[in-house]
Amino acid sequence: MRRFIISVIAALAVVLAVSGAVLAGTGGGSSVTEARLERALPTEFANLYSQQAKLLGHRGVTPASLHAKAMCDKGGAVEDNVGPGSNWNCLVSWTDPNNPMPPEGYGKFELDVHSNGCFTAGGPSKLVGFQTITDTRGREVANPVYEFDGCFDPNGDNTPTGVRFPSVLNVTTTALRPDADNRVGLQLSCGTGATGCQGTVTATAGGTTLGRQPFDLQEELTGTVSFPTPVPAGATEVTFTIRTDTGVGPTSPSTLSMPG
Amino acid sequence: MTATDVLTGRPTQAAPVLGSRPGLGAALRWETRKLRAQLRTKALLIGAVLVPIAVVVIVHSQPRPPKDTLFGRFATDNGFAMALLVLGFAAQWVLPLLTSIVAGDIFASEDQHGTWKTVLTRSTSRSTLFWGKSLVSIGFALLALLVLAAATIAASVLIVGHQPLTGLSGQTIQPQSAVTLVVASWACMALPMIGFTCLAILFSVWSRNVAVGIAAPVVIGLVMQLVGALGGIESLRPYLLTTPFEAWHGLLAEPRFTGPLLDGVITSAGWSVVCLVAAYLVLRRRDITGG
Repeated sequence: MRRFIISVIAALAVVLAVSGAVLAGTGGGSSVTEARLERALPTEFANLYSQQAKLLGHRGVTPASLHAKAMCDKGGAVEDNVGPGSNWNCLVSWTDPNNPMPPEGYGKFELDVHSNGCFTAGGPSKLVGFQTITDTRGREVANPVYEFDGCFDPNGDNTPTGVRFPSVLNVTTTALRPDADNRVGLQLSCGTGATGCQGTVTATAGGTTLGRQPFDLQEELTGTVSFPTPVPAGATEVTFTIRTDTGVGPTSPSTLSMPG
Repeated sequence: MTATDVLTGRPTQAAPVLGSRPGLGAALRWETRKLRAQLRTKALLIGAVLVPIAVVVIVHSQPRPPKDTLFGRFATDNGFAMALLVLGFAAQWVLPLLTSIVAGDIFASEDQHGTWKTVLTRSTSRSTLFWGKSLVSIGFALLALLVLAAATIAASVLIVGHQPLTGLSGQTIQPQSAVTLVVASWACMALPMIGFTCLAILFSVWSRNVAVGIAAPVVIGLVMQLVGALGGIESLRPYLLTTPFEAWHGLLAEPRFTGPLLDGVITSAGWSVVCLVAAYLVLRRRDITGG
């Protein structure tokens, strides 16, 4: 038995050395890549979406008529778009006359991708509906595009697809919190997208312009824009007008009331 | 004992006088008979029929489908998805265990019972016995897989039904082709299962311990699965014996891809050959006189 244990330890050392050499030689390359997901996801989504259309009784929807395209990103701007993980996001656009796209032109899917090339994707319920849908015969059935599993070829085509979508900029401040000098700030979040969000925010309160401040956010990050001029006493609300140079911002100004 | 020519070192023609040693056929027959006499062999095969039926019935009666495994979300209302769900689960540890219980025991039990001297001096040569035992183990692995696959597919289709299946690219697969694909997916397990059989043979010979022979391949399988699932070290995946267990995914995609299947053939064959040769060398060089 002692000899066996010694030989097991020796074998383990050999296995570790060989795997170390393989890793050093290949750099730990993963078959989970942006391009492969960007090819597999729209194909599968288009098939399932036309299945959903059939259930809902929508006519004229075929996998080809949807022209589905996807841009995938892992973990925002700070991470390389390669490797397994549950932080993959894919922006998917498609054409369905029964269900027009939002202004940014896509819906965001959240993916959990495994190292074997299989993934679970969750669709945006705003665009694809909830877990169950009511079919043409009035039955509650599972929504095929709410959540679905798929697999891509780990040796498949890996040339970039070139599909790019802009980020969506959102205001995340829900209530203003002025500092001691009555100055305010606005928190912005920039969603998944190709270029991040850049532009300016203009704040006005009771006829006074509080400032016109630039912002430059990377995708999947939030930032705060602070305004140098204090809110005049007596002003009850502040209006923020956002102009985006890159990214898709809110089209109408947002108005937030002052506390107290 | 064979009479050998002093000059050539080869067995002389005089050997038949002492009675020729039984060949591989006799070793195979004898090992098969030993295996058939064991209670655990029968229990395993009966389990391979009954357990999948129970699993199918239980999963089918669940109000919510088991979505965390591939094809789980369709399993409660699609028989083909059920058969593939059970396949994905079986590949995790059931298949390595099923073959290890026989292959991990077949050499070590001779140590356990102290019967090496008896079988080697009275009946057959070491290499004939080695190949006999190895072939019987592989044969049992294939039989167990066949029984498990047949029971699972039959139970799934009969209990859950044969509705059109949604594939891994969202395509609809008609029942006729779905049957073929499900059977093919189960058949893809044969080579990695032979790989695990050879691994169990190696541990059985090497450790001379039944427990190690049975447990080590299962534990190594689980470790390999963990390593294969980790990010950052994925270049090791093609060398892992558990990767071929996932190669069937390509059959259910559209367009179909078979690259992982071909890689899996090489991986399984590589592991099988290396383990068998290592086991053979260990057995050849062993001092058995201690008994």
